[in-house]
Amino acid sequence: MTAPTAMELYVVINALIVLALGYCLVKFSWNQPLRNGAGFFMGIEVPSDFYRGPGRTWLRSYRATLVAVHIVLLVVLGASFVFGRPDLTPIWAGGWAILYTATMTTFAVWTRRKLGANPPVRPVALALESRRLGDYIFWPLEAFAAALVIYSWWLQLRQDGAQVHWLTPLELTWIALGLFVMKIAAIRTGYPLPAERTEEHYRYQDALRRNSVRTLSAWSWFIVIVLLGTTLRRISPLAWTAPGLWLTVAVFLAAWGYGMLVIFRGQRLAATMGRDLRPAGSFATPYRRAIWTSRSYLTWFAIWFGVLMILVWFSIR
Amino acid sequence: MFLTLQDNDKRPIYQQIADGIKALIARGHLREGMTLPSVRQVAGDLGINLNTVAVAYRQLQDEGFVTVRHGAGAVIAPRTPHPADRAELLKPLRTALTQWVLAGISAPEIEEAVRNELALLQQKGGAQ
Repeated sequence: MTAPTAMELYVVINALIVLALGYCLVKFSWNQPLRNGAGFFMGIEVPSDFYRGPGRTWLRSYRATLVAVHIVLLVVLGASFVFGRPDLTPIWAGGWAILYTATMTTFAVWTRRKLGANPPVRPVALALESRRLGDYIFWPLEAFAAALVIYSWWLQLRQDGAQVHWLTPLELTWIALGLFVMKIAAIRTGYPLPAERTEEHYRYQDALRRNSVRTLSAWSWFIVIVLLGTTLRRISPLAWTAPGLWLTVAVFLAAWGYGMLVIFRGQRLAATMGRDLRPAGSFATPYRRAIWTSRSYLTWFAIWFGVLMILVWFSIR
Repeated sequence: MFLTLQDNDKRPIYQQIADGIKALIARGHLREGMTLPSVRQVAGDLGINLNTVAVAYRQLQDEGFVTVRHGAGAVIAPRTPHPADRAELLKPLRTALTQWVLAGISAPEIEEAVRNELALLQQKGGAQ
């Protein structure tokens, strides 16, 4: 078995990841506006005859947006290969996540602007259960992930001496740190519960919270594995042999596959648990805006994202 | 266990929280040693100011319903007969009874309503 070239690796990874990811995302997102039943469009209450009238146009627009995002991304990916820059694939993958999230969030905001947001639920209920970080986060595993990040840096600094290739490890470490902060925010975030069917709403909200933490953890591990893998590839001659390379690819794909599995399992769970529940979470609570739309959270996100973009710009320059 | 806040209630939110927790203690849903969620969690979940929740917890602490320990948060205190002046306790009861009478509710109906409320409190080993 010969060692694959970098180009071969990118082709294999893209064939497996891009096609599978694109297909799964489109499949899962296709009917998302109908997730709360025919009386709702993207969680917003609509008249009963909505889907016989303007609802069809709304649904068509949503699906057209979904397909357009993926076409744009496939064209960009194709262009990066045509122009001989397959090394930009990881940046493109990050761009996919950002463009997809930004477009779909903009569509949701636009929908609320045009169709009107549901009024905040009243009266509200509060669960008197303490929520501790330790109930959601397994600290020894977090410590292990932190140790791997530190170990990767130590290997990097020890091997490279004066010529430290710090940009990629810094990007990956920054992303892992951001995901950890998001995990804490996900645990601390809660909505006022409706006073009707409170128990079911509570279980649903907690399941979504646990799923968010699980998803963020899975992708944190993916980032940590990529950081360690790229470091080992840099310092160890063994990593450049054919078995070493294929092993690296297999580990990356396994970590990526697990992350995707967690996302899709979470989507299915949310769809099953929330099918009969009137949407409670909104952009506004009875007393103030939702936490994730608050100034402090948006400021933090802007700083984190801004620094990440600066690092990306330096690495493709 | 859940505490409900009514939007048409004229009491301030901190009072609704304090009264709601007292009702849960009286019904035996909240027992000695149980920990209440942190001020930050309650404020975050409801989307209200930290101080609003802190005032409610302080009131409960002052009245001896909870003890606040560093690191442990607010913990439900042992249930001892509350040293309250009976004449003081009669005041809100008298106000409520006046409102019921003025609303045209008969004495037997009022007695039945009081019995039902007491029975509700005595469920699950609440009031003795």
